[in-house]
Amino acid sequence: MGAQSLATPAPPSQARGITSDLSVDEALLLHAAGWEPLDLVCGVAVVSVPVGVWNWGRGAISLASDAHDQAVDQAAAQLRGECSKVHGHGVVGVRVEVSVRTHHVDVELVGTAVRPIGGKDPRGTDAAQAMPFTSDLSARDFTLLQRAGWMPVGLAFGASFVYAPRRTAGTAMKQTRQNIELTNYTEAMYSARESAMEKMQRSALHAGGQGVVEVKVTEGPMSFARHAVGFTAWGTAVRLVAESHQFVQPQVILPLDDAVVTFEAESLRSGGQGRGRKR
Amino acid sequence: MTVGPDGSERSAGAPAQARGDLPEAAVRRLESTVFSSGLSVPDFAACLDLGLEPVALVQGFCVMQWGWYGQGSGYMRGLSPYTGGPQSAGSYSETYRCPHGFVSNEHRSWGQNLEQPWVEAAWAQGYGSAYQRMLEEATAHGAHGVIGVMDRVSSVADTGTTEFHFLGTAVTVDDGPPPAGGVPWSTYLAGQRLTKSIEAGFMPVAVVAALASVRVWAYCMTEYLMEGSMSWGGPTGPHLVEQVSKAHMAVRQLARKHVRQQLAGDELHGATIDVVARELSQGDEVIDCTLRGNRVRRFKDFDQVELPRPTVRLA
Repeated sequence: MGAQSLATPAPPSQARGITSDLSVDEALLLHAAGWEPLDLVCGVAVVSVPVGVWNWGRGAISLASDAHDQAVDQAAAQLRGECSKVHGHGVVGVRVEVSVRTHHVDVELVGTAVRPIGGKDPRGTDAAQAMPFTSDLSARDFTLLQRAGWMPVGLAFGASFVYAPRRTAGTAMKQTRQNIELTNYTEAMYSARESAMEKMQRSALHAGGQGVVEVKVTEGPMSFARHAVGFTAWGTAVRLVAESHQFVQPQVILPLDDAVVTFEAESLRSGGQGRGRKR
Repeated sequence: MTVGPDGSERSAGAPAQARGDLPEAAVRRLESTVFSSGLSVPDFAACLDLGLEPVALVQGFCVMQWGWYGQGSGYMRGLSPYTGGPQSAGSYSETYRCPHGFVSNEHRSWGQNLEQPWVEAAWAQGYGSAYQRMLEEATAHGAHGVIGVMDRVSSVADTGTTEFHFLGTAVTVDDGPPPAGGVPWSTYLAGQRLTKSIEAGFMPVAVVAALASVRVWAYCMTEYLMEGSMSWGGPTGPHLVEQVSKAHMAVRQLARKHVRQQLAGDELHGATIDVVARELSQGDEVIDCTLRGNRVRRFKDFDQVELPRPTVRLA
């Protein structure tokens, strides 16, 4: 069936074709779950960070966190706007790229707008198009989530930037020969991480979510200001739309593949017998 | 006669009329009695299973030089780069005016986001030429299509030139009529992914790609914001850099528009977006966005797939 259709192509369509960044598997799975892709959509925002923000200081760098939040909100609003324009009910598989620079924070969100086949949405078509959901879940995770009675409502973000704490020269000298916890470091890092996650949860609540799934946490010093450390947390805010959680009752399978024993040539170097390695 | 991958005998060589301007080495290779393919073994097996026979690894190249766009070039506008409007009819342009009035000759009293159609056209020329050359090789073998296409855009050493390179495996349909219109179809897919796509009712038409390019000439406020400066009544806190944000959105929308123009009602699957922003100075930027994917056409209604059953693996 397949190959013969490749030799004699179908006539071109007059419809407005869809565009999507979904893989073949994702497109099939999404269709099986009753959803169809519409268009590739994106949201981008560049927000300035005032001069002097990364200079040495103490505690949280709140202006940098504000810039991050503003950039994320603007980009998400644009993503939803593009989704509404093509009459989408939501965006799945959103790729999130955040770049924090010395003087600006850049956020890029790219995903595929989708809608239920036949336009039936439990939220109501108008409501769904007015406030489409955004989610960085893959089509597989989206399908599974929906099957369990939950729906994504939006992306939840939180960020916190702090100055790495300092010790006085005297304290540093005194502690040179001690195995000791640096409590000011511990506390600063701890509270910054908590702050990022708290902001993320607040953002989920604001979007109407009951929880956040697939949370990603990143952290590390800024490449342009090694004395400043950034923490970000983001995920998809979800809400229960069924009366109660639907148990998916997965089937337990036991693969009968035998483990393959391979020969490791390197084991000869240690003088030992050629030991096998299971894989 | 040559022996195909399925063991059958078939005619060797390329029809003379289809050889076009292929290099001599390419003609000799295509006349060889062995087939070649860039497919992995699983993809190769899936290809045969689908009724497609690999005939040759085919490729196409094009090396382009990017011209001088600066002052005095044929692409520019004399001493001032400011156009006051789009570079050509229907292209994107937005103008920004300084809110401060006359300050000095150095003060950036205007700003503009400008689509660069000449860059887009040059890219399309390079990409299109390389693609056509790959198809020429495929046509020379009487192929119905090219699968597992890989394309690459890269610099040639440090010559300041850009090379467009296509590579794929030309295939024929077992017992199929000659390709419609004499032009083979093409796809980035191969193996199981191609099989699933066809079973789902989509036949490949072509790989499509487009580049959109937007030049940002920053005006004073953009310059201040992108450099973190708070002078001249600028905001003291974080602030959306409207000109740059709009340029980034525009370049992505333009890439989609260019690709959509190539779709002619078909669908684009497996799209990828790549954006390169080259910061120049004082807020000036050149933003290039490439969008590519598989153009596919529906040849039968979508068969509803049964919702897969979740499983837990004991291992």
